[in-house]
Amino acid sequence: MNKKLIGRRDFMKSSLAGFGGLFFLPPLDMKQEVRVVETKGKEKKLVYRTLGKTGLKLPVINMGVMLTDNPNLIRAALDSGILLLDTAHGYMGGRNEEVIGSVIKGRPRDSYYIASKVSLPQDRTKGLFTEGATTEEFLRRLDLSLKRLGIDHVDILHLHGVSRKESVVFEPALKAFEKAKKDGKIRFVGISTHSNEPEVIHAATDSKAYDVILTSYNFKQKHYAEVRNAIARASQAGIGIIGMKAIRGAFQQPPTIKNIKASLKWILQDPNVHTIIPGFTTFEHLETDLSVMEDLILTEPEKLELQKEASILGLYCQGCRQCLGQCPEKLPIPDLMRAYMYTYGYRNLALAQDLIVSLNLPSRVCEDCSSCPVKCSIGFNVSKKIRDVARLKNVPSDFLV
Amino acid sequence: MKTICLGVGMFIFLMGAALEAKDFAFPEMAGWKQSGEIQTFIPKILYEYINGAADLYFAYDFQELKVAEYQNEKKVSVTVDVYRHRTPLYAFGIYSQERLPEANFLDIGIQGYYEKGFLNFLTGPYYVKISTVNTGAEDREVLVAFAKKMAENLGTKGSFPSILSAFPAEGKQKHSEKFIAINFLGYSFLHSSFTADYELQGKKFKLFVIEGKNKNECRDMIEKYLQTIKGPRKDTTEGRYTLSDPHHGEVGLHWKGRYIWGILNLNEASLRLKYLKLFEDRITKK
Repeated sequence: MNKKLIGRRDFMKSSLAGFGGLFFLPPLDMKQEVRVVETKGKEKKLVYRTLGKTGLKLPVINMGVMLTDNPNLIRAALDSGILLLDTAHGYMGGRNEEVIGSVIKGRPRDSYYIASKVSLPQDRTKGLFTEGATTEEFLRRLDLSLKRLGIDHVDILHLHGVSRKESVVFEPALKAFEKAKKDGKIRFVGISTHSNEPEVIHAATDSKAYDVILTSYNFKQKHYAEVRNAIARASQAGIGIIGMKAIRGAFQQPPTIKNIKASLKWILQDPNVHTIIPGFTTFEHLETDLSVMEDLILTEPEKLELQKEASILGLYCQGCRQCLGQCPEKLPIPDLMRAYMYTYGYRNLALAQDLIVSLNLPSRVCEDCSSCPVKCSIGFNVSKKIRDVARLKNVPSDFLV
Repeated sequence: MKTICLGVGMFIFLMGAALEAKDFAFPEMAGWKQSGEIQTFIPKILYEYINGAADLYFAYDFQELKVAEYQNEKKVSVTVDVYRHRTPLYAFGIYSQERLPEANFLDIGIQGYYEKGFLNFLTGPYYVKISTVNTGAEDREVLVAFAKKMAENLGTKGSFPSILSAFPAEGKQKHSEKFIAINFLGYSFLHSSFTADYELQGKKFKLFVIEGKNKNECRDMIEKYLQTIKGPRKDTTEGRYTLSDPHHGEVGLHWKGRYIWGILNLNEASLRLKYLKLFEDRITKK
């Protein structure tokens, strides 16, 4: 009866203490340059930083093109002072690169920069490359990308979607980069990461094989401090840092981030981030993003708003996977938390039961331990939720079909 | 007592929801075995599987992805990805965004296409992608066999959105129809639209149709469009408009009832008029 549960108030208190570092960053580096440019009769302030050892001088806001096939929106971005267009071999089945190709056709090659990404077959659960991940396949994909873009080289080519240190130094990819660089098809070698970012960034820094790192980085990440430290080390080693997912889902309905400008400013507070590539789909969003450069300093109300948002307790597992390996019974906690979300979030008991059955759980789940050693990063009582949802395995499936 | 009532109420509520739930099984394939467990990706973790491409899937109300891996005795593997979207329209939308007009089209589900190493198809609310490496000369045969079995397991295939039949046939580029789910033309007030590419007399242009909820919503869209481009103020009535859009050039539009249709990238007024009329005839018949 002496169970000690973390109440919402306690959670808020502890979280806010944890978020204390949200704004404790070094002061903005003076190595940024401010220029006032005139576009379509309007003056606009643009802030430039240098992308590490590549020497490319880029505005701090560029464009992730993955969301749009609207050539006039991409044109408007370039005409507004944006210099870097970020795409990938796989976006829109290749159409994304084709649309960019139609926009840059006829523009001087030194008036824009193109970053693309090539992925190789990968076991996504392990994050390791698999059969078919060869130098030849990588180069074949690069050639197809160049054809779609209508250019003879890209400025940055990223190895796409890496989540393990072993994959950072995957020999066939490194060989492909070497050959592509020698043949003049790429200028700089990059790597992109969406999960397990700190490990990937450190490995990329240690490998000395990469000029640029493209990483997820936002104030809602549970591990933003680790990402920040890894970025700082990479930047010190001369690697150019491009941030992404700064406003993760902000343009979705309902939005997952409320204050877009403050979210963009947050990531740009970090002087080790040289540029970011938000994706936008409207001319209005483009203007909103560019307007951030008018003043990069977060105001006190903006700070408060970000702090409040970062501390909101989610109802469901955030997928940080920090619980892995903590359970003495080796229960697959993230999967069980997903079943919990199917049950109470999706209200889909059949789906939850399917998942639970597929996990081959022992007959007694979370009933034999006197205390649970699992420490959830957002304070969930994990064993309680597991006991709750595991009951579904005993419900006759006829009830749930 | 209160707790018991709440518990029973919740159970009944969840049971009701469960009755509506649909699930599917990955097929048994002769000569192939499923390797590993079926992986499931919900929106929050879709990035882990398809990286930044996930953003576009969210615009099409992506719900869940299930992935199965198969292997034969020669250790050749086939991966089957089944993306479920909230409605068949959204599934068509994401399929249309990735469809390669020059590919080899197949009669699988509503439609499918094959290219070396992969086969994609659309059926109901599902967008299915099947891929393989090292299947050699049997590549197409293997992928088609998997696709057919998978399509059988995914239930009623449905059909393309009926409004696509309103697009005039003359000059229409095969397999170019798309559904843009958000912010058509880069304007949030124009929400979604169906588009198709055309080529006639050496001219390339695009037709589109926006399906509003009702007449008032369409009026609202026209008014906002006029405000945005600072067009001449006039009473917004049903009929034809020629707008001078700073981003898209001259845009020919026609509004009638809950439909707005139009033409992009076509400066020749007579041809523009011809297509707006053709469109009108076909929409009226709907």
